[in-house]
Amino acid sequence: MRRDLQLVREPLNEEALRRGRSASSGAGAVLQFLGIVRGSEGDDSIRALDYEAFEPMAVHQFEKLFDALERRWPVVESVRLVHRLGTVAVGEASLWVEIVSPHRGEAFQACQWLIDEMKQVVPIWKKAVSGGMQDATAPS
Amino acid sequence: MKIPVRYWSWFKDLAGTDHEVHELPPQARLGDLMELIRRRHPRFEEVRKSTLVAVGVEYQADDHPLEDGNEVSLFPPVQGG
Repeated sequence: MRRDLQLVREPLNEEALRRGRSASSGAGAVLQFLGIVRGSEGDDSIRALDYEAFEPMAVHQFEKLFDALERRWPVVESVRLVHRLGTVAVGEASLWVEIVSPHRGEAFQACQWLIDEMKQVVPIWKKAVSGGMQDATAPS
Repeated sequence: MKIPVRYWSWFKDLAGTDHEVHELPPQARLGDLMELIRRRHPRFEEVRKSTLVAVGVEYQADDHPLEDGNEVSLFPPVQGG
């Protein structure tokens, strides 16, 4: 299984990520998920989220999740994941995941599972950066 | 033996620092270190159930044996995504 993990401090380049896709002739599903920063945390409007990671452990735990994903869905041929760190403004992407597989079913399942597990074990935390309503408006 | 401890996210505020070094007797286990930390920083008692603990880059439980120089990390529930 192809795997690619990036923890980055610059905005995600979705077009470049899409161009980096590789799929064999057996692939029938390419699932891409984009998580973006909401303009609110609970009842409070925010301007951004500040992401912090214990990077060596985050990389190690992601690699363990990729290993487990490969065991659970051996037909998945590629997993790529990019997570932003540092300050991510409202409306910007904080997470990008791509799963390539023969059929959509395992791609959806694997993507859902990977993100759920990430939120349990990968040491990344976020802190709300407050701002006025104008600042909290997502870019159009 | 000396055990360096790092605190992450808002646990830095509970500890009042992002790292410190604890002195423990030989053959101490992770649970012994946690007791020491809770005595030094009583606010960690309030988050006992939600505290995540790693030695190096692996999660470990209280019965994990420590070795001199092991790097221990304490942090709250993770929030990636």
